[in-house]
Amino acid sequence: MHEFSITSQIVQNVLAEAEERSAKKVTEVQLVIGKLTFLGLEQVRFAYEALTKGTIMEGSNLVIEEQEGIVQCGNCGYQGDFKYEDDPLYHVPLPTLKCPKCSNTVTITAGKECTIRNIKMLV
Amino acid sequence: MREGVSPLAQLKKSVVKAEEGEIYDVELSEDLLKANQRLAEENKRLLHENGAKAIDIMGAIGSGKTSLIERLVRLLKDRYRIAVFKGDLTTTIDAELIARHGVETVAINTGKECHLDANLVKKALQRLNLRIINLLLIENVGNLICPAEFPLGSDKRVVVVSVTEGPYMIIKHPFIFMDADVVAINKTDLTKPMGVDVKKLEKNVKTINPKAKVVATNCRTGEGVEAVAKALGL
Repeated sequence: MHEFSITSQIVQNVLAEAEERSAKKVTEVQLVIGKLTFLGLEQVRFAYEALTKGTIMEGSNLVIEEQEGIVQCGNCGYQGDFKYEDDPLYHVPLPTLKCPKCSNTVTITAGKECTIRNIKMLV
Repeated sequence: MREGVSPLAQLKKSVVKAEEGEIYDVELSEDLLKANQRLAEENKRLLHENGAKAIDIMGAIGSGKTSLIERLVRLLKDRYRIAVFKGDLTTTIDAELIARHGVETVAINTGKECHLDANLVKKALQRLNLRIINLLLIENVGNLICPAEFPLGSDKRVVVVSVTEGPYMIIKHPFIFMDADVVAINKTDLTKPMGVDVKKLEKNVKTINPKAKVVATNCRTGEGVEAVAKALGL
């Protein structure tokens, strides 16, 4: 939903890092984007291409690693994927905060991140 | 983003000397969504230091968020010193409705943004004398998607969903309901004409988020509003 503003922040941060190191060119940017964010990867790529034009990031390789959603149960210690409710009506399985093992309520521990993990640049 | 070059940046620059034409690998781990989360934590701390708690009210356009706030204000204004932040793209129409009840109201106009964020709330907090309030109600922009991504620093989050939004609104937006402490199913007087089963909606909420408290309300008459306040611990 907010790909353009988030990608604009990503580009600004990368350019600032590149400037600090007097880089001539940025060749690759690696991002980690959680599956529970509302960021569409296709839109991120589109915004990235548009926003890097005319900068030292133009033409750089954008690598996006997706982080699965992970939940943890405070009751039985379960850690892993959501429990999904499956119903033909839902079209895709409905994620729930119910522990798949003990039905207690779980908390989300991963899947909401949007991180610049690595930048490769030519100096 | 950056103003000038920080001492830390200078230090990094002086230590690492890559040769001309060499590929330089920079490891980072700054989370861009965390910037909002950090500001939200600051807002919460500021409110708590001043003895105030905050409730964030979310929901679709026209679900009855403002009506619920008006009812909560009428119910609680003798027990709490209340202020209200009213988020909207533009106009102060709803903010004026709330201010009529004699509570301090700040209209936050986001312009084009579809949600409030922690920075806008921080700015609005600067307009308040925090010492004289102990309960802040924040009405988010009408939207069931984006507000889930942007915490504001509230202690509890309410989602208002009305029966006029049809039978599938909850299962279509699971993530905002995962964030809810209390869900108000509003406009229950229209259940029959809409052919919507409130029990089914309640079951949908409980399936997604077993911990959420669900209350049926009719904010025009005030029915169920005391139960909402109770569910919020107010």
